Amino acid sequence: MEDAEFEDILDDWFIESLKTYKDLHVYQLEHPTQVLEWTSGKSVCVAGYSQSKNEILELRLPLKLLADENKSLCAERDFKVSHGGFTDGPVRCLTHIPGTRCAVTNDGLSSDLQVWDLGGEESDVIRRTGSIKGKRSASERGSRIAARPSSAPQVLHGAQISDVQLTELASGETLYKLETDSADPLSSLQFVSDTVFLAGCCNGSVYVADTRTSAPPQLSHSPSSDESVIWWTDAAAGPHPSSRRVIRVSSSGQAVVSDLRNLGGAGCQAQLDVQTPGRCSQVKVSWAPTLDDCISVSGFSGVVQIYNTCLWGAEPQEARPLFEHRGHAVSSQQTDDSVPTVVTSHIWHPERPRTLLSAASDGSVHVWDWVDPDRQGGSPTP
Amino acid sequence: MPEIKVTPLGAGQDVGRSCILVSIGGKNIMLDCGMHMGYNDDRRFPDFSYITQNGRLTDFLDCVIISHFHLDHCGALPYMSEMVGYDGPIYMTHPTKAICPILLEDFRKITVDKKGETNFFTSQMIKDCMKKVIPLNLHQTVQVDDELEIKAYYAGHVLGAAMVHIKVGSESVVYTGDYNMTPDRHLGAAWIDKCRPDILISESTYATTIRDSKRCRERDFLKKVHESIERGGKVLIPVFALGRAQELCILLETFWERMNLKAPIYFSTGLTEKANHYYKLFITWTNQKIRKTFVQRNMFEFKHIKAFDRSYADNPGPMVVFATPGMLHAGQSLQIFKKWAGNEKNMVIMPGYCVQGTIGHKILNGQRKLEMEGRATLDVKLQVEYMSFSAHADAKGIMQLIRMAEPRNMLLVHGEAVKMEFLKGKIEQEFSIDCYMPANGETTTVTTNPSVPVDISLNLLKREMALGGPLPDPKKPRTMHGTLIMKENSLKLVSSEQALKELGLNEHQLRFTCHVQLQDPHSDADTLHRIYTHLKSVLKGYTIQHLPDGTVIVESIVIKVSSSAEDSNTKVLLLSWSYQVKTWTLFLERFVIIYSFKCSEQQQDRELIDIQWGGKKIH
Repeated sequence: MEDAEFEDILDDWFIESLKTYKDLHVYQLEHPTQVLEWTSGKSVCVAGYSQSKNEILELRLPLKLLADENKSLCAERDFKVSHGGFTDGPVRCLTHIPGTRCAVTNDGLSSDLQVWDLGGEESDVIRRTGSIKGKRSASERGSRIAARPSSAPQVLHGAQISDVQLTELASGETLYKLETDSADPLSSLQFVSDTVFLAGCCNGSVYVADTRTSAPPQLSHSPSSDESVIWWTDAAAGPHPSSRRVIRVSSSGQAVVSDLRNLGGAGCQAQLDVQTPGRCSQVKVSWAPTLDDCISVSGFSGVVQIYNTCLWGAEPQEARPLFEHRGHAVSSQQTDDSVPTVVTSHIWHPERPRTLLSAASDGSVHVWDWVDPDRQGGSPTP
Repeated sequence: MPEIKVTPLGAGQDVGRSCILVSIGGKNIMLDCGMHMGYNDDRRFPDFSYITQNGRLTDFLDCVIISHFHLDHCGALPYMSEMVGYDGPIYMTHPTKAICPILLEDFRKITVDKKGETNFFTSQMIKDCMKKVIPLNLHQTVQVDDELEIKAYYAGHVLGAAMVHIKVGSESVVYTGDYNMTPDRHLGAAWIDKCRPDILISESTYATTIRDSKRCRERDFLKKVHESIERGGKVLIPVFALGRAQELCILLETFWERMNLKAPIYFSTGLTEKANHYYKLFITWTNQKIRKTFVQRNMFEFKHIKAFDRSYADNPGPMVVFATPGMLHAGQSLQIFKKWAGNEKNMVIMPGYCVQGTIGHKILNGQRKLEMEGRATLDVKLQVEYMSFSAHADAKGIMQLIRMAEPRNMLLVHGEAVKMEFLKGKIEQEFSIDCYMPANGETTTVTTNPSVPVDISLNLLKREMALGGPLPDPKKPRTMHGTLIMKENSLKLVSSEQALKELGLNEHQLRFTCHVQLQDPHSDADTLHRIYTHLKSVLKGYTIQHLPDGTVIVESIVIKVSSSAEDSNTKVLLLSWSYQVKTWTLFLERFVIIYSFKCSEQQQDRELIDIQWGGKKIH
């Protein structure tokens, strides 16, 4: 038997994966996506980012992944394209409005937003229903978008900190504007409660404000004075305000965790084990929704890393990831070898503790349920 | 207008049986004749009443084509040919012809012997049906009759699966059956040339899915086998000789080697004999890798996999066994299953679909207590795993196939229109072709634009070239004038002069005339001159002549002026034009009429007058 013939299926990563993943699904989209957004516990939206026409797709997760008791009797491993539509430009940011079949996108070229109806039972077509004018007609990075968690459909959006505004979707009315003069471009925007939001700037400074008041926002300066470095931020959505933590990750691999109520105060830090520090534009950092203290990072290379922050101390030390998903790098479908595959986005499943989805620049999308190395070898993980 | 009609037989939304009728160029063709595996009564057969209310189908069908041996594509064939009645040709590839009867007989046995059904075809009927089969080779054009020709293309999917190209005159249809656009471990990928059929017919079942990679399916298989072996369990894998057995064996063999595993793996000898026999027969239908391997040695010669003996089933310790038949309905696989079912450490992996009535079907539906012969019940304690390895195209695959074949129209069967609007839009946008989605039982009519080849006389061709303009381009049709002469089987386009000469006729010219009244006190000559001057100023770029014989000629339109007999202030304009310049004249008329208004401005009555010309109102 010629081993060389079958090396493609039995490479080291593949063999390792038998023990390191409970579930693993690998898909190839026709066009790569930079956005991954849940529209329900069972479906995600993806969208292309080429210069002209692109597709927005709503994909239903494979039945086998979701089936719990009858998993072994379910053979269905494929994504179902439940709804699809066409856009006129790239999609760099996509946010689903909770409780609706509505999504809002931004093309990364200006700060205008497009509003979409994702379609229901009667049609599988995603249609554009309107737009929201942003402050800037031309913008290098485009706007960040955050949907208000409850109440009537409203979106918080802006390309830079001084542009941040809350717009009501139905009327287009501006309900709130962030009062600040700073023109720092944003790298993240999210609600931490129904009215309080956090805006992370590319330079590392973080603003916290309340949409109910016109009082100036709380500002926490960047952890670093190095202006060449870009920062990304994520706030944990814990049940208690006291457990709300914020993590900031820089393009040089520095990670800083602080408490939402005391952003400037002492938290913990680490130097992440990232292969190509400095050369990235799509870093994503995310707190795990159900695993305490765990964060995930992607965008530095073709790998998604998971870290346990409770191992970090007050002084920045090199941190080793708890788990690495190397699937995109190892089984890359990229035709051009000179351009390495980079993970463009990843998200955690809102309920299943260790299930993530990740997408890369070669059009691949992986769904994976990883095994905690510390619990390996014991009884089957729940 | 010439048209092609396509009707998927069946009712409502049900997916699960393929049987499509195509009417093209006066020929009727049945594509596939599948059984619906979910029904126990007559609903499992296609509804042939669409073709004829009663009686045999022979007179109504020119041929039947079967794409591959899966029961949902050929399961109703013996019923159709022997019980409803059809004596015409049935076409399928060589491997399909060899394998179909085996599956049909198996299926018959299960349905009649196990389930006790009566209205079903018999073994003899299967044999009689297969006598009507004419086998096809790949890429070979077969003349069904003087006008209808068919050709088979490689479809991947399963051994012997084909896509079929059907042509009558210059109209054609391609039916894909089930196909796969990515190569398999033992089969290649589907391929077709740029045949540009009028319609490409395909299943929509997988068109809205994105397939999980083969690697992950294999990973799941290996993981499950490994976990069972590690805990000391036995793994039974019931397989059909020509299904995934070969692939799964290769996979396990390589894995065992890599992981240095010691547990024995067996396959039943019946399996290997049959498989070897068929692969030898149909080696050209497998892919490069398999062909290379086969040349070197026996298909089933493995280091870690050995021939099975009945007694081994009682051996202690872990092991893996591949055994037939695939649905656990009889034979060795069922025997082994009965022995191993009671131990929860064991596992059975079902790699494919199981027909109703089989044990396989029952356990895949979660049944944990089975009734066996002699009223004995069997407790199913072992782990049951359902895995799907079948190779199907997905959304990306359909787009790839359309790009390859370049059809003029797309037709998707077996889908709900509401759930395929996006795909339809995508196909229409990317390829600028219409996409049809008939419901079962509904007929779609596609108008075709067949090209009719015609000989053209050299003189006519030279004359057209002399006119200048862009060179002939298949994408930009150019209108030309000529006379078409149809003599016997030839079509000839010649100039009108030549045609008249050949037919011995004189040329006649049709000229249209029209009178327009004007109020103008001037003399006839003056009026004519003013019209001439006016036209010259507004119709720049056109040849306008004022001839000494008292006429104005605009290109080839003649204008004459004369006075009305009753009133010298009323002028009558005579306009005359030949057939070709009909629309031109309308244009000219309007100017004349507007001019007449100018003349009448002197009148006090400035009412707008309705002017009619040829029934159409001109302001």
